[in-house]
Amino acid sequence: MFSLYKKEMQSYFFSPFAYVLIALFMLIFSFAFVTSIASIDSNVLKFSFPGIFYDNFFFFIFIIPILTMRSFADERRGNTEVLLLTSPLSVGKIVMAKFLAVLTVFAIMMLATLFFPIYICCIGKIMWSSLICAYLGFFLWGMVCIAIGMLLSSLTGNAIISAILGEIIMEGTLLVDQIGGSALVNAYPYLNSAISWISMQRRFVYFSQGMFRLEDLIFFLSATAVVICWNIIAIEKRRWSHS
Amino acid sequence: MVEIKNLSKYYGRNLAVKGISFDIQDHEILGFLGPNGAGKSTTMNMIAGYLPSSNGTVTINGFDITEQASEAKKCIGYLPEIPPVYPDMRVEEYLLFVAGLKGVPRAERKKQVQSSMQRLHIEDMHRRLIRNLSKGYKQRVGFAQALLGDPKILILDEPTVGLDPTQVMEVRNLILELKQDHSIIFSSHILAEVSAVCERVVIINKGEIIAIDTIDNLERNLTADTVLHLTAEGDKDKISRLLKDIQGVSSVSDIKELGENRCSYQIELKNESVRNEIISVLLNNQCSIVEMHLAQLNLEQVFLKLIQEKKKSSLEQLIDETKQDNPYHQED
Repeated sequence: MFSLYKKEMQSYFFSPFAYVLIALFMLIFSFAFVTSIASIDSNVLKFSFPGIFYDNFFFFIFIIPILTMRSFADERRGNTEVLLLTSPLSVGKIVMAKFLAVLTVFAIMMLATLFFPIYICCIGKIMWSSLICAYLGFFLWGMVCIAIGMLLSSLTGNAIISAILGEIIMEGTLLVDQIGGSALVNAYPYLNSAISWISMQRRFVYFSQGMFRLEDLIFFLSATAVVICWNIIAIEKRRWSHS
Repeated sequence: MVEIKNLSKYYGRNLAVKGISFDIQDHEILGFLGPNGAGKSTTMNMIAGYLPSSNGTVTINGFDITEQASEAKKCIGYLPEIPPVYPDMRVEEYLLFVAGLKGVPRAERKKQVQSSMQRLHIEDMHRRLIRNLSKGYKQRVGFAQALLGDPKILILDEPTVGLDPTQVMEVRNLILELKQDHSIIFSSHILAEVSAVCERVVIINKGEIIAIDTIDNLERNLTADTVLHLTAEGDKDKISRLLKDIQGVSSVSDIKELGENRCSYQIELKNESVRNEIISVLLNNQCSIVEMHLAQLNLEQVFLKLIQEKKKSSLEQLIDETKQDNPYHQED
């Protein structure tokens, strides 16, 4: 399994792919950082890092489908899927190795943005609890999105289509929160509570306030697990009904 | 050893492989022959564990390919029709990755990769990106990959496609060399290749096995073994008449003039025992025999004959079925 993980990491870092995406992520974060500082009220010199994440989810999440689009689609296109599926590795291990590789690239992206809080720390004060929770929350959210992106890559078998579908679905997860806040949904308390239960953005709000709730952690972990299992089943299903 | 029992594969409603059974003994090279779309690659994919079968079992060294997939797959080296190579990797890097994937211990990986590169003569290419290699080299990299992990069973799906004639010879020799410590299933539609390398062949058509035997047996059994080729000197009409008069000769055909006073004849016999009589009759009539041999079909003819026979029998079956289905059908 480690061999596959290593090969995946090499495929990201021995090409410009990962570097370009990390640079793009940093660019979005820097813009958000600069605009946050520029919009500070003149008398209270305060701004929030969680706020940067919260305001720019739309752009951050845009990057994840691009990161995951090749994971299975390229294997299918290049006929290298045969090599993996006839190796002694189980489908579960193949999916996990690929998932962990993408997750590592995502973690490296996030680590790169730590430059800004560390810089602020040198010249000002920082609320570490809120910052750590925001990073953790964003990482967990990203984990679910990576699992979804990989599932799409495996289902469609085409990198471009999986990226486009991924963008639509991931922006859709952001819309859930908007729908939850609408007057129509608010009129039905049960529907409202159901929507707020699945809304990842609302769960992120707790993290951004420095609150680490076990419930949210379990939600993100179980959502990831469900999507990964779905991916394993999808690959097995395709093998059985191969044509 | 590989045992295949009653293996079937449905693609939707279409039955691509129809309950085939055969086995591969240790240190044996089994040829897998069939026209395009016969089900060769599907069967090989099922044996290698890439596609699950709809019915039946594949047992590899005692391990079932679906029940004990990991153990069974460790015994297999598979070269699919299109070599499974990553274009962005370098040859050595790719082979080291595959060795890791197959669970070769870290300390042995380098050694195994070196030896498989040597066997396929690709050491000079070890730093090259696979995308820049020619088709033949890609094929050899794919072959080298199949040898990693020292699998006891090699499944090679058309391993010589895209190679030049010298490389084809090299690969054939390599396969013969590998026979010493591997069992090999080797598919091809180039019959000369199969007869050069394999001892036993499985001929498959439309998902069904139409023959399993050694090449010699197939050639012998399917030969109209009562056909005799004769080249003799003498008057064509006289010889032809003499031959026809012999009891036990059913026909004399395909008479070709080969030169001055020399002709070749194809003689169909009711039984082989009349050969001596033919010789004595000809000699008594002052005709000299230049050459006489029993006709034997080569593998190519055997293959075509088997497939044609199959077509004929399925056509007859279809006609019978139509007759049964149509009660108003009247025989002419």
